[in-house]
Amino acid sequence: MLYVKELYKSYEVGKNKYEVLKGIDLHVAQGEFVAVMGPSGSGKTTLLNCISCYIPFDKGNIKLGGTELAGMNEAELARVRNTKIGFVFQDFMLLDGLTIRENILVPRIVQGAVDKEVEKMADQLASMFGIGHILNKYPAEISGGEKQRAAVARSLINIPLIILADEPTGNLDSKSSRAVIETFINAKQKMNATIFMVTHDSFAASFCDRVILLKDGTIYRQLEKTKARSEFQDQLLDALKEMSA
Amino acid sequence: MMNMKQLEQKLQKADRKQSRLYLFCNFMALMIISAYAALMLSPTVQKVFPEGGDSAKQMYMIFVMTLVGCVVFTIYALGLFFRHKSGQLGVLMALGASRKRLAPGLFREVLLLSGVSAIAGTAAGFPFVWVIWHAFRLFLVDSSDMVLTFDFKCLFISLLFLLLVVGFACLTAWRYLKKTNIMEVIREEHINEPVKELGRWCGPVGFLVLLVGAVLGYGAPWACHAWFSMYPPAWVSVFYAPVFVGLYMIMLHTVVHGWKSHRKNPYKNIISRSMMKFQGKQTVNNLLVVTLLIAGGCFAVFYLPTTGISAVLHYASLPYDYFYKYQADQDVPDRAKVEALGREYGLSLKDWNECDYVTLGIGGMTIIEEEDSLRFHVEYVPMLQEAMVLSEDAYQMITGQEVDVGPGTYWCLNDQEETSLYVNNSAKEITNMTTRKVLATEFAGYLHYDHLTEEIPCCVLDNADYALISEGLTDDWRGRFAAFNVDGKDSYPFANAFFRLFVSSFDESCERICSYDRVQKIRENEEGQEYWGDTDKMTKISYDSSDSFTFRTFWVYMPSFRILNQNDFLRNMAVMFMMFLFIFIVCMITALVVCHTRCQSIALNNRYIFDDLKKLGASPAFLDKEVRSQCTNVFKMPALVGTTAMFLLFAMILYANDGRLLQTEWAAMGLCLCIIAVIGAVIYAVYRSTVKAIKGQLGIG
Repeated sequence: MLYVKELYKSYEVGKNKYEVLKGIDLHVAQGEFVAVMGPSGSGKTTLLNCISCYIPFDKGNIKLGGTELAGMNEAELARVRNTKIGFVFQDFMLLDGLTIRENILVPRIVQGAVDKEVEKMADQLASMFGIGHILNKYPAEISGGEKQRAAVARSLINIPLIILADEPTGNLDSKSSRAVIETFINAKQKMNATIFMVTHDSFAASFCDRVILLKDGTIYRQLEKTKARSEFQDQLLDALKEMSA
Repeated sequence: MMNMKQLEQKLQKADRKQSRLYLFCNFMALMIISAYAALMLSPTVQKVFPEGGDSAKQMYMIFVMTLVGCVVFTIYALGLFFRHKSGQLGVLMALGASRKRLAPGLFREVLLLSGVSAIAGTAAGFPFVWVIWHAFRLFLVDSSDMVLTFDFKCLFISLLFLLLVVGFACLTAWRYLKKTNIMEVIREEHINEPVKELGRWCGPVGFLVLLVGAVLGYGAPWACHAWFSMYPPAWVSVFYAPVFVGLYMIMLHTVVHGWKSHRKNPYKNIISRSMMKFQGKQTVNNLLVVTLLIAGGCFAVFYLPTTGISAVLHYASLPYDYFYKYQADQDVPDRAKVEALGREYGLSLKDWNECDYVTLGIGGMTIIEEEDSLRFHVEYVPMLQEAMVLSEDAYQMITGQEVDVGPGTYWCLNDQEETSLYVNNSAKEITNMTTRKVLATEFAGYLHYDHLTEEIPCCVLDNADYALISEGLTDDWRGRFAAFNVDGKDSYPFANAFFRLFVSSFDESCERICSYDRVQKIRENEEGQEYWGDTDKMTKISYDSSDSFTFRTFWVYMPSFRILNQNDFLRNMAVMFMMFLFIFIVCMITALVVCHTRCQSIALNNRYIFDDLKKLGASPAFLDKEVRSQCTNVFKMPALVGTTAMFLLFAMILYANDGRLLQTEWAAMGLCLCIIAVIGAVIYAVYRSTVKAIKGQLGIG
């Protein structure tokens, strides 16, 4: 589904150049729920932004559903973002002037393909994620957890190849975090969605099939979930402790 | 079912607060520019402001400053609008909207907002001028000169500015769409704009640089003239550049460090200081623009007391209530007729005095332009100009001053302070323009009598020399001075009636301005040249408009009637005064709108900080102090620097005129200080209302 090969990205701040990603190689399979963890500055968000084509990368290849992203022009990239990727931001990024239903529909509106079927699908997604009762409300009128669930519904409206989520529980309390993670699991189970999530939260990561640990722009280690969730969380915490040491 | 267009419309509706702010800023900027241009280029103003004169230059200079201020202001407003808009654009881009998909909606919105506001602002400029001008006429002063007419060529300036606003808005929209880093677009609203931090030396050095710039800028034209014998070219103004650098440094210091020492309590006002600092670039630009606008406004409004006070004191100090001259061949009312007219108004006249004078050609040093019209040299020219010449007896009779003029010499009349520009102290000969007889002479010294210090030099000769040189002169070169006082209280109706009678007694030969020099005309015509006074429109005046500014200021035989001058002074100068008052109003409105908008945007962009402070238990009094501290910085420093700098520049100009400050100049400076106090009060009132509005928006009780 997603192949990342020899990915390099650096930032220039004044005269200084900071290498953030130093040759990342990874693969995410169809229907897999993968988390990326690592300390601040390890390059997690940059990796996600490169995969989603939000920022240009220096070197390497990203292949999504068999399509090479490097070398695409702006219109082609926009098409990939719209049809093949669903993105969930840490701070939700819902449009304040639109209702929750309209927010969920935005990717289809951008495509110019809203019909009764799509509206029905938006309603179904909302019901599936427990936000059916707030569809006509505006973002300012609902809680953070509800906003993020709406954002997940939005990311799924185009039935993308992959959902990219950047710290989706970062701004939420534990109850809301749990609800959002359940939303992802729901999407994976019912829609066979592929999810690639960046997180600091070992609890959220423990729900994933696999966790990639990133350190200083390189992959430090990958952990497969073979045990129960709580044991996997302990395993993750140990690995994180080891990485910090 | 919603489509892209409907989605954009809904988002625009939700953003109406930001759009309103942008509309308001654009509207104000365009209205001010269009109003200023409309009045500046109106025939009403153009015919009163002499072309190339100092007052006209002053008017154009402040216009340029206002234009720069409005450009910076609209760019700032546009920046604010797009900072907010970028969040939406970024999200839509992140969700897969291509540039091509976003461009039509964005350009439509930007074009609509900037176009409508710009067109409405341009159109509103005319009623704005009309209302202010008619309020002046209704409440302050009215005269025949003040009938307002427009020359719609001024629309070119508005149109250029309109195109600039719309063009810049489209360019900014395109710039946002061109960005490849979508995260940058999304986060734009939250990106701070800190300024490069300089040390605490920055502010004090800024004051020094400002001072150096003022001295250099003012001194450069003088240096061109005195050291290089050339007229100062336009680029000499570049010497004023340090003024702007200095101002920038001062404003930078205000934003980054503030002017109070924080050594004892480094945490005092730390929140408001940090808020200012991290929105530094725009804040510094805004403070700079506001300072320039306030300075420009002061420059305009200081013109009123400087001109007004010196005129009022001058009229009060003149020795005669009535003093006039006329050409000998004119049928001007004689003493009996004037006394009879006085009796009609219940007046008795006293101290009547009359004497003859002659108009002769006088030689002198003058500036001769080189072919490039830039350089010049000084050369002696015989028969340089007209001079009114009196005998020593005539002088004694009219002035009461005893004078003994030696044969072969002449004394030149000057004002009490010896500041008159119209003296000739370099003549070597005097010429009878009828017989062309020449009398050798030399300058012996100055006499002082304000009535005889006019645009045409006045000289006194030895009685015998006078008789010799004036022999054979025709009546058109002869004239007579007359003067008298009123016994008791003077009457304006009498003065007015006498003025009208006086003007009506002259024929066409005297329908000319004082700078129309008959001697120069003869000399140049004899040299085969055309005299400028015969071709230039500026020299044309008419008895029919004897109440106009031009007639009363420039007619060669304009009499000095104290009560008439005192009463009609404001009316005669009305257009000029009201134009400067208008400029002042426009500059102040612009400055206050910029300050108000800037304070609002600093507060609203930092709303989350105020919310966090509330959550941390900050009292309303603390939050109130933070808001005040923010607004104080925006209002106080530009007001202080703008008014003080202009006051000092004015004092420097007054001092540099003649190397001293005269009594009238001290009085004018006192009045300027009073005006500064009024400006301060107005700024304070707007500051208070801004603080109140922001506190309301932030929900601070």
